[in-house]
Amino acid sequence: MLEYILPLLCLPPLCAVLALAGRFANQTLHWLHRLTATAVGVTVLLLAANFNPSQPYADDYFYIDALSCWVLLIITTLYVAASWMARSYLTREERCGVLKGEQLQTGRYFALMQLFCWTMFIVLLVKNLGLMWVAIEATTLISALLISFKFTRAALEATWKYIMVCTVGICLALLGTLVLYYAQLDALGSEKALSWLYLYQNASALDPAMTRLALLFIVIGYGTKAGMAPMHTWLPDAYAEAPSLTSGMLSGALCSCAIYVLLRNLVILLPTAGSAMMSGMLLFFAVLTVAVAVPFVVVQRDIKRLLAYSSMENIGIMVAGIGAFSAFSLKAVMLHMYSHAMIKFVLFYIAGTVIQEYQTRNMMRIHGMIKDVPYTATFWLTGMLGILGLPPMGLFFSKFYIMAALFREGHWLAGSLLIVLLAGVLIGILYHGMRMLGDSARRKPLGELLGSMDIAVLALLLLATCAVGAGFEAIPWLDNVLNCAVRVIGG
Amino acid sequence: MEYLVVSLIFIVFLQTRFMELRRATLCLSVQSALIAAACLAVGLSHGGGLHGWLPGLLTIAVKVVFIPYAILKVVHQLRDEREIVSDINVNYSTAVAACSLALGYMVIDGLLPMAAGRDIMAASMFMIMTGLTLIVMRSRAIMQMIGLITMENGIYLLGLIMTEGLPLIIELGIFLDVLIAVVILVILTSRLRLSFKTTDTNVLDKLKG
Repeated sequence: MLEYILPLLCLPPLCAVLALAGRFANQTLHWLHRLTATAVGVTVLLLAANFNPSQPYADDYFYIDALSCWVLLIITTLYVAASWMARSYLTREERCGVLKGEQLQTGRYFALMQLFCWTMFIVLLVKNLGLMWVAIEATTLISALLISFKFTRAALEATWKYIMVCTVGICLALLGTLVLYYAQLDALGSEKALSWLYLYQNASALDPAMTRLALLFIVIGYGTKAGMAPMHTWLPDAYAEAPSLTSGMLSGALCSCAIYVLLRNLVILLPTAGSAMMSGMLLFFAVLTVAVAVPFVVVQRDIKRLLAYSSMENIGIMVAGIGAFSAFSLKAVMLHMYSHAMIKFVLFYIAGTVIQEYQTRNMMRIHGMIKDVPYTATFWLTGMLGILGLPPMGLFFSKFYIMAALFREGHWLAGSLLIVLLAGVLIGILYHGMRMLGDSARRKPLGELLGSMDIAVLALLLLATCAVGAGFEAIPWLDNVLNCAVRVIGG
Repeated sequence: MEYLVVSLIFIVFLQTRFMELRRATLCLSVQSALIAAACLAVGLSHGGGLHGWLPGLLTIAVKVVFIPYAILKVVHQLRDEREIVSDINVNYSTAVAACSLALGYMVIDGLLPMAAGRDIMAASMFMIMTGLTLIVMRSRAIMQMIGLITMENGIYLLGLIMTEGLPLIIELGIFLDVLIAVVILVILTSRLRLSFKTTDTNVLDKLKG
């Protein structure tokens, strides 16, 4: 497996260094960026194909099992998609987007993007919980530079909030990790410090008082990073002010990464801390997150903030699925993570395109998209139906299964609250989205800006969610990976 | 160790008193120096070796020298003297710090009764909570950065006492993260100064809803 891991860890930083060196023309850089991403994508595909989900790979530093393989696939898909669309997006931004009028530093953008994905790969590949923390903190720092890419006032404000709230949250997670290490020293000695596999095998030996404390800090810490209320204050600002490609990566990839780390830590802590405390805490945070998001979705004017709050809603659902903690719900969480990442990436990209076409972020000023910009409108409509969880998109299945699992496990209060709140989200998003599509335009767009490459990539991503959502029990390989991932978490 | 605890608590209280950014930064440097001393003392008492002295030396290089130097460079760019000294909430943050010292002892006594390093663990809890207080209550970007470093120092000290230091590779990673975080925060602060003509984060209130 090492031959697959090494390219993953070497190619992106190499590309970043070349991009920062500034010796290449933009044209060369675009291809360098694309080829690096494609090479990494092929490597991950080979890794997934040659990997036996029921037999994890482990060496001194790296560890791959079905769970990390699945999240790796999600992130790599977005990484490849983002790199192939970067060219048309950036040239459009330069012409008529928020990056207009400034010498566009393509090299800096590519370097940061590559490093951002690289740090996420490290999160997924390392075996040690301490190193996982280090890598998660590194993703915060690199993505901060991506959010503040243009250094406008709004971007600076969003970045400052992002870095302050997230770093404090992540510091609490470090505290939790330290408490976990203390519990390990107490019970097992200093051998293999914080190694996930070692702790996994000896999880029941840890001291329950310590693991409960660690659980508290770790849920709050990594929950901040995922965007759980009430530590979500950075999320709408950061998602809305970042360039749209970055927003898609933040919402799709980084959020999945945070949930992945949370799951990894939960696996260690649950056998001793008991699942009752974890369930109660996670379900409370989940319902709170969705409840906070609903009013903002309904009264929203800003197209990207609408999507950001919808991300919060989906994070809430995923956390609720983890809180229910049965094999059924965890499998649905895996599926939800995938579908949400793909659809939200598409939606953020389309939102960026709409902003470029209409030169405004205010949804109230956008009308008649279906007549003026038919391709954008089609993707906007499909994406919206997808994110609301209407069939045949993947989110329908995962949302439905998570809800069903909540009632099956007896969390009927959280389940019914969530259903009511989800109805609110549905009304809000559908109202805003449909209003933009219909009516006649009072404000003429610049024209259809979606290029053929964009359309191909976006359609592929949407099709992938349909296929995975509908076939996740019918495609043997997929079923096997998801079942193994659920078995790792222990549902 | 007792002298260390007393001087650490004193320095952190002093940290909440400073209104002037230069002095606050120097205070941060002294605070980190105490952490480095604790780190070296613990490291050498457990048999030295690479893991014994490297974290201490890195603390000196990163937190005592580089971080205060980087912050001072930004402070020197702030020409307006009013901006450098004015601050409200100083008394509040000291009061909260006093409460959190008591709270720190309560937490440690509740969680780890009869622990060997009770005082120093309480002191590190105190540092964590004071750092949080500084971030929440002070509005200027540089004071918030100082709060963040104070909090990080507290967590580091707690880890050092409870577990005699994390594995070396994780410690190196944490140092790297702190270093990058400060570099990025310094970049952002100087950008704040360019865009808003101030580093008071109270101006950052445009994004709502």
